This record gives sequence, C-alpha cells and structure tokens, in this order.
Amino acid sequence: MKVGILSFQGSFLDHSKSILELGHESLLIKQSKDLTSVDALILPGGESTAMKKINQFSNLLTDIDQLIKDGIPTLTTCAGTILLAKEVIGGEVTIPNIDIEVTRNAYGRQTESFEGSVKFFENEDIYCFIRAPKISKIFSDTVNVIAQHNDEVVGVVQKNVVSLTFHPELNNDEYYLNWLNDFIREGKNVRSF
Amino acid sequence: MKIESTNKVKKGLAEMLKGGVIMDVVNAEQAKIAEKAGAVAVMALERIPADIRADGGVARMSSVGVIQEVMDSVSIPVMAKARIGHFVEAQILDSLGIDFIDESEVLTPADEINHINKQNFKAPFVCGATGLGEATRRIAEGASMIRTKGEAGTGNVVEAVRHMRTITNELNEVIACDENEIVALSKKFRAPLNVLEEIKEQNKLPVVNFAAGGIATPADAALMMQLGCDGVFVGSGIFKSGDPAERAEAIVIATTNYNDPKVLSEVSKDLGEPMVGINIDTLSEEEKLAKRGW
Repeated sequence: MKVGILSFQGSFLDHSKSILELGHESLLIKQSKDLTSVDALILPGGESTAMKKINQFSNLLTDIDQLIKDGIPTLTTCAGTILLAKEVIGGEVTIPNIDIEVTRNAYGRQTESFEGSVKFFENEDIYCFIRAPKISKIFSDTVNVIAQHNDEVVGVVQKNVVSLTFHPELNNDEYYLNWLNDFIREGKNVRSF
Repeated sequence: MKIESTNKVKKGLAEMLKGGVIMDVVNAEQAKIAEKAGAVAVMALERIPADIRADGGVARMSSVGVIQEVMDSVSIPVMAKARIGHFVEAQILDSLGIDFIDESEVLTPADEINHINKQNFKAPFVCGATGLGEATRRIAEGASMIRTKGEAGTGNVVEAVRHMRTITNELNEVIACDENEIVALSKKFRAPLNVLEEIKEQNKLPVVNFAAGGIATPADAALMMQLGCDGVFVGSGIFKSGDPAERAEAIVIATTNYNDPKVLSEVSKDLGEPMVGINIDTLSEEEKLAKRGW
C-alpha cells in the first residue's frame, strides 16, 4: 500500500517512520506531481499558517481536497486537523472536509504543552499535545468521537477522515500502529458511509 | 493525567518546526511579515546579528517590551535569545511564556565556563554547535534542538557548511564505530558517553538540527537542507535585503522544495538585492561569534 504524507513542513518524517514500520510504502508529497496513485493520506502536525503559505506555490491542497472527497482514508494530526476543519478560530479555513470547529493554540503557548492520557477507541495511553488545537464544536451527527482526554474531544471520525489533535506518531505504540494498519488497509472504521 | 513541559513535549515542538524557516524579527511589523511569508517561528530580537556586529559593545537579552510585542502579534511560536550561561535571562524568558529559548553565541557570553542547565526550565532550548562534541554537550545539558553556529550577521554561508559537514562526519564515525571504540570517541570529541550511546542506538542525533549563521538566499537554504539539516534559521538575511517579504517567501518555498532545482530557480528570480556579505577571512578571531561557547 502507498501512503502519501503531506510534506510541506512539520512531523512528516515521524509519520513516514510509522508507515515504513508497518511495511507500507511512504511517499513524501510536496507538489501535485508527487501525488500519483496513493491508497491513503496523512496530513501531519506543524504550523498550519506555514503550510498554507507553502501551498500557494503549487496548490497541492486542491488535489488533496479532491482525493479526500473521493473517499480516500485520511488521517490528520494537529495542524493537519486545522487544514481540514470547517471552521477555525484564530486561523483560516483551508480545505473544509470535516464538520468541526477547531480553536488554534487552545491550551496556550509551548509552556502549556503537555503529555496527557487519551482514550483512543478502546485503548488508554499517554500522548503529546504540542501547542495543540481544541475541537471546540461538532456540527454534524455523522461526526463520531473516537478519542478523549478527560472530558475533552481530541479525536473524531467522519466518513473517510480521522482527525486528531494529539501526536500518536511521536509514540508509535502497538495499539496505534495496529489501528493505523487497519485504517490504511481496509479503510476500516471509515468506509461505512 | 496531564504533565507539562516533559522532555518529549519539548523535543516534540522542534519536530513540528522541521522543514521550516525560523526568521529573526525586531518588532511586531516584521513578525507579521514573517508569519505571512510562511515562517514556522520567529526569533524576537532588539537588533539583528548584522547590527549587533556593526554596533559592537555588549549584546544582551532583548528588552521584555520587544519580546512581548512580538509574542502578542503572531500565532506562530516565538523564540528569544539569552546569553551563554546567563540563567537569569533564561528565567525571565521562561516566565514570559516564551516558546523556545536560544542560548546564543550571538550575544556576549555571561559565563566563560558554564552553559545554562537547561533541564530546569519549562521552555525548550536550542543551542549552537560547530561539531558533534559541542552538540552532544548541549544535549546533555538539556537542549531540545541544535543548530549550526555558522557565522551570524555575515550573509556568508561558509561557516554553516563547515559546521554541518563536521557534525555529519563525526556523527557517521560514531554510528559506524565498533562498540569497543565508543569510549575513545567520547574522549576524542569531548562528547558525553550517554549521548553517544543514544546516537548509536538511533543512528542519528537524538534532537532536531537546524542550519543557522550566514544564510541569505533561497539557494543557501536549499544547500543546507541538502547537506542534511532539518530546517533553517535566517537572521539578518531577510530584513537586511532589498525586499524582505518576497525573499522570506522564496526561502520558505526553497526550504520545502530543496531537492527541486526547477523550483529553486523559479523562486530565485527577481528577488532584489540580497544583504551585503562579509568575507570570513577579513574578520579577526575576536570578531568571530562562533568561537563563543565551550
């Protein structure tokens, strides 16, 4: 399986490591010409303002938008989640594909970044939140909560898109990798629409 | 459960900056230009390195007013510099809630023997290095990110290239070494053994390593990326050039597409005047900022 990872900037190499560990092929996507026949997509963490600017050069996100709308399994973390949100507080809407509102840097500056316990599907583990956004509103019944930190929603799924505000790629724990493998292989949990 | 400012969270922010450009700015207006041009972070300074070099005298932490003005004006991470060994400047920056502290040779050192014990702070630290020994000593002191020292404020990339090549060659020597050689390598590079063991285990430096010091053009940025840097700091190169906004954008695009000469030639067109450069040979030993730090 070929997994395309948006590689403008950010933690794309960490995601690539997860994909390689699972025995899949990872493609670092920087321009539209890199986007050939991928089976799944990952939009990583980083700075959403920088990614948006870098996009202006090639307009790669327009093609990515189309692939997501075609139903390709797509995982987003942190800044990647901001790119796909329908509404953004403290930032700009980019390619809205998931019916949520996110608030940028919602926990505060880096000194408020933390490691916190997250219930991700059936598993509980400790993950990093780095100048993380919050999912502040859910606009549709078709958006399902899949991850929670205390009472906060930190991960959702809608159709083929899974959007998280934390960084499982910095852990690469067994539960996450197994889930990721299923997600890529079958679009399991996502192709049910 | 929730724990703030762990090592993993500190190193994690550096991971999020990878592939990006961090720009020196002296006020809110420049910070906004940098953010709009696609900077992943800004370094808030009172004077950029080229001016520090020209002005002479003692260079200290920037005024709290300037730093706060920049912090209030942008949504991307803000860094600021403390003098080498000046842990009280670092305490002040930490209390302001700065996102990253640069313990920097660009400022006049405050301690000729000791660097700051960086474990005691909430904010992560970035430190300059000219070789693997310096890089690993800083990591052992708690640095979450390394950058080449280069020669700041010169617009001349030669020193950054030298430092990156040195770090890479020495890193390769450690990665390739037989386990019986590692103690001798630790002595040779004056590198803490535990960090060398970590390098050997991971086959890479355990933290992110950016290029800094003398980067002035999109081609300079791409050169440093092709040499294996994880991202780029641009200091005087942007706001000492003819068209800062245009140049800043071009360097951002070049840093992402560092392996694509077509893109590099496209963004290098019509950029206006670059900053005026200084030949390193014309600097006396005392004028070389990279000599600072131990």
